[in-house]
Amino acid sequence: MDLRAGDSWGMLACLCTVLWHLPAVPALNRTGDPGPGLSIQKTYDLTRYLEHQLRSLAGTYLNYLGPPFNEPDFNPPRLGAETLPRATVDLEVWRSLNDKLRLTQNYEAYSHLLCYLRGLNRQAATAELRRSLAHFCTSLQGLLGSIAGVMAALGYPLPQPLPGTEPTWTPGPAHSDFLQKMDDFWLLKELQTWLWRSAKDFNRLKKKMQPPAAAVTLHLGAHGF
Amino acid sequence: MALFAVFPTTFFLTLLSLRTYQSEVSAERLPLTPVSLKVSTNSTHQSLHLQWTVHNLPYHQELKMVFQIQISRIETSNVIWVGNYSTTVKWNQVLHWSWESELPLECATHFVRIKSVVDDAKFPEPNFWSNWSSWEEVSVQDSFGQDILFVFPKDKLVEEGSNVTICYVSRNIQNNVSCYLEGKQIHGEQLDPHVTSFNLSSVPFIRNKGTNIYCEASQGNVSKGIKGIVLFVSKVLEEPKNFSCETQDFKTLHCTWDPGTDTALGWFKQPSQSYTLFESFSGEKKLCTHKNWCNWQITQDSEETYNFTLIAENYLRKRSVNILFNLTHRVYLMNPFSVNFENVNATNAIMTWKVHSMRNNFTYLCQIELHGEGKMMQYNVSIKVNGEYFLSELEPATEYMARVRCADASHFWKWSEWSGQNFTTLEAAPSEAPDVWRIVNLEPGNHTVTLFWKPLSKLHANGKILFYNVVVENLDKPSRSELHSIPAPANSTKLILDRCSYQICVTANNSVGASPASVIVISADPESKDVEEERIAGTEGGFSLSWKPQPGDVIGYVVDWCDHTQDVLGDFQWKNVGPNTTSTVISTDAFRPGVRYDFRIYGLSTKRIACLLEKKTGYSQELAPSDNPHVLVDTLTSHSFTLSWKDYSTESQPGFIQGYHVYLKSKARQCHPRFEKAVLSDGSECCKYKIDNPEEKALIVDNLKPESFYEFFVTPFTSAGEGPNATFTKVTTPDEHSAMLIHILLPMVFCVLLIMVMCYLKSQWIKETCYPDIPDPYKSSILSLIKFKENPHLTIMNVSDCIPDAIEVVSKPEGTKIQFLGTRKSLTETELTKPNYLYLLPTEKNHSGPGPCICFENLTYNQAASDSGSCGHVPVPPKAPSMLGLMTSPENVLKALEKNYMNSLGEIPAGETSLNYVSQLASPMFGDKDSLPTNPVEPPHCSEYKMQMAVPLRLALPPPTENSSLSSITLLDPGEHYR
Repeated sequence: MDLRAGDSWGMLACLCTVLWHLPAVPALNRTGDPGPGLSIQKTYDLTRYLEHQLRSLAGTYLNYLGPPFNEPDFNPPRLGAETLPRATVDLEVWRSLNDKLRLTQNYEAYSHLLCYLRGLNRQAATAELRRSLAHFCTSLQGLLGSIAGVMAALGYPLPQPLPGTEPTWTPGPAHSDFLQKMDDFWLLKELQTWLWRSAKDFNRLKKKMQPPAAAVTLHLGAHGF
Repeated sequence: MALFAVFPTTFFLTLLSLRTYQSEVSAERLPLTPVSLKVSTNSTHQSLHLQWTVHNLPYHQELKMVFQIQISRIETSNVIWVGNYSTTVKWNQVLHWSWESELPLECATHFVRIKSVVDDAKFPEPNFWSNWSSWEEVSVQDSFGQDILFVFPKDKLVEEGSNVTICYVSRNIQNNVSCYLEGKQIHGEQLDPHVTSFNLSSVPFIRNKGTNIYCEASQGNVSKGIKGIVLFVSKVLEEPKNFSCETQDFKTLHCTWDPGTDTALGWFKQPSQSYTLFESFSGEKKLCTHKNWCNWQITQDSEETYNFTLIAENYLRKRSVNILFNLTHRVYLMNPFSVNFENVNATNAIMTWKVHSMRNNFTYLCQIELHGEGKMMQYNVSIKVNGEYFLSELEPATEYMARVRCADASHFWKWSEWSGQNFTTLEAAPSEAPDVWRIVNLEPGNHTVTLFWKPLSKLHANGKILFYNVVVENLDKPSRSELHSIPAPANSTKLILDRCSYQICVTANNSVGASPASVIVISADPESKDVEEERIAGTEGGFSLSWKPQPGDVIGYVVDWCDHTQDVLGDFQWKNVGPNTTSTVISTDAFRPGVRYDFRIYGLSTKRIACLLEKKTGYSQELAPSDNPHVLVDTLTSHSFTLSWKDYSTESQPGFIQGYHVYLKSKARQCHPRFEKAVLSDGSECCKYKIDNPEEKALIVDNLKPESFYEFFVTPFTSAGEGPNATFTKVTTPDEHSAMLIHILLPMVFCVLLIMVMCYLKSQWIKETCYPDIPDPYKSSILSLIKFKENPHLTIMNVSDCIPDAIEVVSKPEGTKIQFLGTRKSLTETELTKPNYLYLLPTEKNHSGPGPCICFENLTYNQAASDSGSCGHVPVPPKAPSMLGLMTSPENVLKALEKNYMNSLGEIPAGETSLNYVSQLASPMFGDKDSLPTNPVEPPHCSEYKMQMAVPLRLALPPPTENSSLSSITLLDPGEHYR
């Protein structure tokens, strides 16, 4: 092949360009973003922490509502509370969801639940309960941010709220106080189920995202024998 | 008459007009029936609202009417309420009336009808009820919706203690409906197959988020739905308490009250009760923003009298409380200001203050409190605007706090707040002489007087004491006096005085002046009296002392004391006692248990000379000794030992030592005489001996067994107990005979040593006595005898002349080889070819001439002699002294000899012969180790052993006879040996 001077200059420029962009290559850039694994792990940890936090908060709040809402075996049919996102889903359906759908559902659910929770905070009469609710709301906001972070890391877009579907809390007798209490009950219950479900989701995602490096290492180790 | 004429006319006209009216009404009365009855509902208030009109009412007329209203429930025949409603009805008026239902209107259909009757004074005759209107049906159930179950009333707000009726409406009668109040099932009354009502009486307040009541419809075990209500029960609003208003400045009225319980409910159901202030004279109203106070502005044109109503209100109830007062009677003054003190001296001061002016000609009542020296004085004074009060009888140099508060004098309402200030009075000269006492120590030629004084109390010091003046005046030489000024806070000084009488005056001085003087006289010869010390017992409260009065006039007594063990200056105290008192109790917190205090009691004569009367010593509380004596064991014998603790001091103990306990432990069960059995704190048994004399600090423990193990422990005891527990000291008595042995052995050893020394000193004498030197034959007496009897020519052979020639060795054909040990090679082979002779060659200097030789048979070297073990004369090889032990058998001896001699002879081989002994020439000095190896065979003098003899083994065995001995010895001619 016959190379002229212009070609050699072009190759040099190409080489320089490659070298210039070398640090940006993800496979080589070990010091930058550690990937979604860490943020998934953190989201999972936060979910477990929220589960724990909700356990004590729900106890206090349901006692404040009074019986039958604080009775352990109270399990009313779900009348009202229709606007709350349901966490329960058929197992097959759930398994058929892909990661993006799961994350999107989680994100949407917590967006709604957080809004309702803020309404709960406004209604609470005791200062102590208000503090606990505010703390939980902050944590839940953090979880929402974490999920958004995981989605961004995996390259999924955040779901855009449809106009007019933004949940709002309206004070006053929208419906009866008993139904309102029932809504509160269902809100806490759904939160509990959602957190349980999210923990499973993130655990599953975490395992999925784990690099196979550990397995390779183990294999090589076995060879050594 | 005219009157009678007018009256009938008037009566007629009146009657006529009445008649006309009656005819008008009666013409239209029959149709006075309520018409257009309309019924509406208010679910929130559970009320029916009726409105109707009265038909046929005359135009522009008012008529009192009574309406009877009937209300039925579920069906018209079920009348649940009948009531009358009286009112004045105008023409064309729409009438309104409300009825509140206990049962929620949603629970059942209601029916209403109405009838009326005229009840007007204008119609005195009895009237008739109109006909009933038609039944109006009221039902709100149509608007329910599609649910299967409903519970009413929704979210009702009631007051605590109210009666409430609730109901549920179930669309499906197949459903089994259970209702619960706060989780507990309630049972009600079925109104119809769909509706059941529950009467809740006197509902309690449970929580501000409401009481939950819910019903659950189910079929079998399947829940079809839950519906419920929240009953909000409010606490009963209380009447405000302690409502009052007052002013500080005639501009603002400040009203306060105690609000009582907050009736707020959660979920925005009811806010906290509101408070409104209403003044009835002015008609003004103010909504208060705080729950327990409110300010009301006073305007210039306001009346002096106010009638306030405080109204507390919530959604359910209104409560009010009223007060009527004159403004000038509710003046709460602001606290006084500009509190000052003028002309402050040692005992007086003038206090001034000002009061905020309220109105002209106002008189104020003020109260002054003076705090100082732990006391409080109170004074009241009436003033105008400026207050002033003269404070007297104050203590000098004292800080006081004075404060003042005021009130309206004409109409006392309440005191203002206090305003106060501190001030300090000036100093004055000390008012009392210091309490002075002394210690006098006699020293050769002078007295050392240590003066002590107590600081003046604050009451008497009247200021800060700066220094003490001590004036020493020689009473014997009045012209001389000395002044010592000692700065405070010193409380003692030391004076060295000669043996004269002195008067000492002590004064305390502050910035203003000196106190009266305290006088003490030191006599020229004080305290010469020898006084016995007496022991006293103190109590926790102190020491009770009494003494014999001093003869003669006394002006008082002084008791001084100090810690027995400590430095006198550090803890010296005294107490003055009056002249008529001969006992006192010294009680102070400073007395510590276990510390010994020495007391001295002095009498003070009129000349102020102190005379020591008594000495006492004691403990406020005796303690057990803190340590045990160090005990030494003396004179330990097989039967006794002595314990002594001479160094133990009985004086510096926390109690008077009363004696000692000696504990002794031994293996023997029985205690020794004088000892008694005792049980120690650890439960072990031992023997105890008690010494009652604290100065007896030794004990001989006797009657002990030899070679026995004893343990002892000595502890002192006071009235409070004995000393601390400590370990027992162990003693083992020696053997009984060992002492005796020592008594015998020591002299013996001494004697032996003495004998040895004697022997050494007399060794020459002993040598001569026990082993004299071998006599010199020349000097022997036998020589003369031989000469005399046999041959006069015979001479004694000189030892130096004795030249041994040869020893003929009888050859033994089967000669045993003799293995020469050592470094030399075996000579057996080379020597065998040579004749079996051993030639003993004379030394050159010794062969000067042959001469007769006297030979002694040396029996030491025959076999028998060797066997006897007599090896004392065996020449020991000088280089092998250790071989001595090997020579106990003849073979060993022989071998050793052979070796030695072969070594020493050098070229002369021993050969293999049966020779037991080759030769022995005693060296001149037996044991001369140096000469032997170099020239062992050289017999320089041949003085002692001259005989050379070889004794064959076999010849040696039989007992030696004269013949055999001769035949075996051949004396060789010396001449032949030279060849």
